[in-house]
Amino acid sequence: MPTVLQNIFSFIFLVLFQVLVLNNIQFLGYINPYLYILFILTLPVQMPRWFLLILAFILGISIDIFSNTLGMHAFATVFVAFFRDGIVKLFTNIEEGNNPTPSFYTFGVSGYIKYIVVIVLIHHATLFTLEAFSFVHFWILITKILLSSLVTILLILGIQSIKTK
Amino acid sequence: MKNLINFLIQYSVVFLFLLLEIISFSLIVKNQEYQKSVFLTSSNSMVSGMYEWSNSVVEFFKLRAANDNLSEENTALKNQIINLQNKLSTLKPEASDSIHFRIPPEMEYRFISAKVINSSTNKLLNYITLNKGSIDGIKIDMGVISDEGVVGIVKTVSQRFSVVIPVLNPKSDISCKFKRNNYSGGLIWSGEDYRYASLTDIARHVELALGDTIVTSGYTSSFPEGIPVGNIEDFKIKESDAYYKIKVKLSVNFHTLSHVKVINYLNFQQQKDLEKKSEEQL
Repeated sequence: MPTVLQNIFSFIFLVLFQVLVLNNIQFLGYINPYLYILFILTLPVQMPRWFLLILAFILGISIDIFSNTLGMHAFATVFVAFFRDGIVKLFTNIEEGNNPTPSFYTFGVSGYIKYIVVIVLIHHATLFTLEAFSFVHFWILITKILLSSLVTILLILGIQSIKTK
Repeated sequence: MKNLINFLIQYSVVFLFLLLEIISFSLIVKNQEYQKSVFLTSSNSMVSGMYEWSNSVVEFFKLRAANDNLSEENTALKNQIINLQNKLSTLKPEASDSIHFRIPPEMEYRFISAKVINSSTNKLLNYITLNKGSIDGIKIDMGVISDEGVVGIVKTVSQRFSVVIPVLNPKSDISCKFKRNNYSGGLIWSGEDYRYASLTDIARHVELALGDTIVTSGYTSSFPEGIPVGNIEDFKIKESDAYYKIKVKLSVNFHTLSHVKVINYLNFQQQKDLEKKSEEQL
């Protein structure tokens, strides 16, 4: 039960933090981190997939409503949520019946970093491609994806390494 | 039949995934017709109310800059008053009762001041939300300016809020001209940097210089003539091109935008009706 409450709280906190603080960060015109994806990353591994998808959709659409980009964040978030299980299996070997919450301790440092990097890159690539809706400014798009992903990844790793559990 | 049901159960997650993605995608596509989604965007009063609250905190830190701007504007206006008074006093002896003063109809404007409560500069499609709406007399297609220059055009209006398409949006197309020689072209944003936009349709025979001032042309009824837009930062022309590529440094800093004025052109409807009528007669 406490984990459910904790997750509801972190959902609200991440949405507000994203909308009120991070969306106003426009360093060099390229860097706009999307930290809210951390919510999907920290849900327990064995969570039913249909529930994960619906949570991802609600998360994405909440961000969308606040940032005038109806559908874009929802699309990207549902997209990574669908591939999350596969990516977890790829980088870690969790025994049957275990249901750990992803972190440095349960995945191992290198496994966890790989997991974060792949998911954040997929999410940002989907999101920025949808936003541009064309490949006309291809190199700008690539720079935006890489720089923003880098900042998001660093933020997530920083937050996760502070957490003690 | 049983096989079909088994199949559906086995792949239910995939179907849910596809369903959610299709919903999201159709929302994105539908969103291109911006008006349809006003209900779910920041014209929505709850979201706007929250932004207004967050903005009231941030605004405090911008007070100093706003004060500087206001005092500058104040002095400019005072100077203008003195100039006009001087002109008036020189005209007075000649002006008998028979001559009465009349404002030209295209200059009849009123300003509605408004505050920016949400804006972005780093997206490809940027929007600005204002805290005034139809109650305060704002209508679609009105122009929006700040003390520094042109901001954008009102696109959607709810009762208490309105959304502006700023210059920083490829959908905006504002007609501009050179202050020096009146050649006009369209201002388009390339999507890279919130400080610069580009000016199109300037033919190669036009004489340009770096730093030339660009102002609104007054051909669209949203803006009166002569509101500053920016200065030429750089221009290029290839041997084979018929038109210049001109990079314009925008005079408005969209990053720190907070107080704006919406232009209410009093003869808008009359002008539109007349133009429509003459088109129909042809």
